Amino acid sequence: MKTLEYFEVVSTEPAGGELYRRIASTVITDHDLLRVLSRLRIYIDPEIPIFVAAGHTRSVPRNVIVRDFAGITYDGDKVVLSIADETYLAPLLQLLWERFGKDRILQPDRFTIEMHLEGHESEGLEEMVVADPTEGLFKDLIYTMQVICPEGFKVKKQSFQDGKFWFVASENTLPEDVMPLVDEQFSIMGVSV
Amino acid sequence: MILVPITYKGGVYRHDEILDLIEDMGGYIIQKHMIAQEVVLQALIPKDDIETLRQISRPLTGEVIFAPLVGTEIAIVSMSLEIHHLPHASCDVAEYLRAAGAKTNMVGLARGFGKRIGLLSDEERDVINEHDLAIYLFGNFETCIKQKMPTFRRGVHTPIIVTGGPSTDALRRIIDPPVAGYVGGLGRFMHRTKEAPELAKLDDILNEVSRVLDSRRAEIAKDPLSISPARLMDVILEKLPDIHDVTSPVPVVVQMDGVRVKLPYDPFAMQLKDIEVDSGVPISSVGDIRPSRMRDYILVKIKPFSETSLMV
Repeated sequence: MKTLEYFEVVSTEPAGGELYRRIASTVITDHDLLRVLSRLRIYIDPEIPIFVAAGHTRSVPRNVIVRDFAGITYDGDKVVLSIADETYLAPLLQLLWERFGKDRILQPDRFTIEMHLEGHESEGLEEMVVADPTEGLFKDLIYTMQVICPEGFKVKKQSFQDGKFWFVASENTLPEDVMPLVDEQFSIMGVSV
Repeated sequence: MILVPITYKGGVYRHDEILDLIEDMGGYIIQKHMIAQEVVLQALIPKDDIETLRQISRPLTGEVIFAPLVGTEIAIVSMSLEIHHLPHASCDVAEYLRAAGAKTNMVGLARGFGKRIGLLSDEERDVINEHDLAIYLFGNFETCIKQKMPTFRRGVHTPIIVTGGPSTDALRRIIDPPVAGYVGGLGRFMHRTKEAPELAKLDDILNEVSRVLDSRRAEIAKDPLSISPARLMDVILEKLPDIHDVTSPVPVVVQMDGVRVKLPYDPFAMQLKDIEVDSGVPISSVGDIRPSRMRDYILVKIKPFSETSLMV
């Protein structure tokens, strides 16, 4: 996997580790995460047993706000949203319905939303957060790690923050604080914790 | 008369002549697949007649291939039916053995994963025991295979072939007492087997299965069965009309020492017991008829000659 800056799969059983490297590379390619991941290190010790995956994503996409995909025009109390990208239309409508009520939101055609709002209500409308792309990314990443991880490792803990993620799994109960295990992998990778 | 297992591949055109020929030779058709314009037959035919079949099928562009596993039912035991184990490697192995003529059944364990938490239920154990051979598809770590093996072999008397990520020597070293066969270097993987080294591994499994089954055949030959399973299948197909209403592609599965009849036990077992394989010889006198743990099927295990003093 040349596109990753760093990719290591290490195990206390080197032969098994090598086979898991192949599994990890297949799964990451199948789940189309090559462009997302930049660094990944997996450590497996079947004796304990423990599976630790630690890594970095390339660039975390920021939250999608109204102004990213819609133009807003104000005409007195009438606010018109012209939608440029339909991808986020459904979540936007949900948010507007929740905030202002269904009866005040009109959609004369696919790409236009009309609302009658009082002065203070339209404040901050352009900056309203509609979607968080990292949510889907996090789910995809963790699902990928679950598929790579041996199936018997049913006890799991995971985290994703600021483009840095880790996934720890075991067949037995995990220690309450798994951070020393995770930090060890990050420091081998050369990433400051 | 020595019967040899073969696969016949040819066109639909005039294939009925081949069917008649095999029957006239005294052979048995175990399975017949019609795939579009192609017919694939798994059959047992007399050894001396292979050349005759080849000659007669030549104008029909038919192909006769030796298929060592025809007439065997093999359990492919997958540690679970999750994406971790399916479709690769379980389906790849099953498909490869099927091409060699075996009737393979995938046994997906409910809780087979994990080295400490892996379990084999009594139903799973009984289903495995109904087969001629079981192939255990283990994972990539020696530690796990070593620890879980005792749990998975408890109560299983069918010969076991173990496959896993570690080398064949490593498998042989960690499994004690030994099992019937080992194929290393084929553990858990998530891609389709299409590269030459991977196909060679599947060939290794095929060779190991053939070796184990040959030794089983030699064992059976020391005290031969009272009736050949293929002949018993033929009798059942002829004398039990309800079997033709079964929609399964193989309503009577031939095993090495018996047959699995895919009819419900309660309504049909008595009827089956009374069918005569020869004048005055009912099936019940040459075989044990019992309910199968697989669905509601009937399992007939043929008794050896030493028990019945009969040879049909």
